Amino acid sequence: MNNPKLLSLNSTTSLISRFTRGFIQALIRINKQRPVTSSSPREMYIRHRRIKSAADKSMALAVRSRRNWSRAVLARFRKKRRRHVLVRRITTCAMKKRGLENKKSGHKEASHGQANELRRLVPGGEAMDLCSLLEETAHYLKCLNTQVQVMRCVADSYSTI
Amino acid sequence: MDMEVIAGTGPRSTTKMPEPDQTGLNDSLQFNEEIHHLMTAPNENASSFTALLELPPTQAMELLHHSPDLVKPALNEELLVPPNSASVERATRFSAFAPESSPVPEDSGANLDKVKSEPAETESNPNSSSLQPLLSDPTVEIRSQRPAKRKEREKKVKGSTRKSKSAAKESCEDGEKLPYVHVRARRGQATDSHSLAERARREKINARMKLLQQLVPGCNKISGTALVLDEIINHVQSLQRQVEFLSMRLAAVNPRIDFNLDSLLAAESGSLMDSNFPSMVMPQMWPEVQVNGNRQQYQQEWHFDAVHQPVWGGEEDGHNFITPENSLLSYDSSANSASLHSNHQLKMEL
Repeated sequence: MNNPKLLSLNSTTSLISRFTRGFIQALIRINKQRPVTSSSPREMYIRHRRIKSAADKSMALAVRSRRNWSRAVLARFRKKRRRHVLVRRITTCAMKKRGLENKKSGHKEASHGQANELRRLVPGGEAMDLCSLLEETAHYLKCLNTQVQVMRCVADSYSTI
Repeated sequence: MDMEVIAGTGPRSTTKMPEPDQTGLNDSLQFNEEIHHLMTAPNENASSFTALLELPPTQAMELLHHSPDLVKPALNEELLVPPNSASVERATRFSAFAPESSPVPEDSGANLDKVKSEPAETESNPNSSSLQPLLSDPTVEIRSQRPAKRKEREKKVKGSTRKSKSAAKESCEDGEKLPYVHVRARRGQATDSHSLAERARREKINARMKLLQQLVPGCNKISGTALVLDEIINHVQSLQRQVEFLSMRLAAVNPRIDFNLDSLLAAESGSLMDSNFPSMVMPQMWPEVQVNGNRQQYQQEWHFDAVHQPVWGGEEDGHNFITPENSLLSYDSSANSASLHSNHQLKMEL
């Protein structure tokens, strides 16, 4: 993940290539750290978690900080390391505030309920209004698509060879 | 002073390019003179906000169309004088009045703005622009013609539509950054500031929803915000679950091959996406020459879809709906599907 090429070319290389590179590098690192010796469920679970976080992290890194959700994902990873709880506090305050605003406006109650669900799904979506939330969702969807396709490719290549 | 202003605004209105020396003019303008000028010479000053209303629709459209082309001059710094309540009142009255060219702003708004910028936002701008110091040179009011930053504008618009007094200050501060797009209230719709702002917000949300509908396969046929949102939520959840399952699958597989990262990175620089996947997928036992030789073949077989899973089929359909404005968003997905086709081709040959 410290490849200088990766750092310099941000906009010229596409999202896919940035993500793929980061993801494969992470995979190699994971394989080196813990060579798959036993297939115990616990081992498998640990690897599963690591691979999943590697995927999410490399996707967020490929997007850098251009988007709210990528910033939230990266912050989540950093916070995991340092074990802070600040983010949760901030988001609950934002949610309360939005709850008050919703009651005031009184419009589109149904969509607010779904909007809250969307906020839970999209990382970092709690502290955003509906407009930016929809924009974030669009970009997040696109990146998720990319992620799924790349991972499927990698998994297929692993299984066929 | 008045003559200066009129003469100065004359050529400006024809060229529609505000000049940088307006700051000097504005400094010397008195507030009363400004109002007087506004009241006496609305016709000559074709570029003023009030004159816009009297223009024939075509001319107004032309003016509006010019907005993206104009470079935003650093004129808003001069808008530091607080507006007079009388002028503000007049301006609001003008902004509310729009009988004749009601279809015009909608068309021009649609033409002006891309999917992501909202036409309706411009509607709320008459209020804000009217609240803007009218004392400054009338041509400055054309801020209609400059492309705007959406979020700042929206914030500013909301502030100005709510309270006239504080709005003036806000608008003065933000004035440097904020050009306006001219809008007027549509026919038969409420024109008070709150509903204008709300309408702007609603249209913004609707534009984004349309974009999302294009991204999510099968969402185009559904009408209604709630159902579309449900679809979107389901889709996001399914994608997240797929990521989870795929990572489990990857964890279960025992990797026996080391990826040749150097070759992958070398192939990456400046080349198409399809070149990456073959080099990534193939293990080191395959000679590099074979990869290069097959690359050309893969490029031609992008459309071949022997192994066409339903998910990708859905995504394929979604690509057709993506408008040019979403090219930035869709570029990666289309490139991805193309590379996937080549990947399948590779597998078939294995």
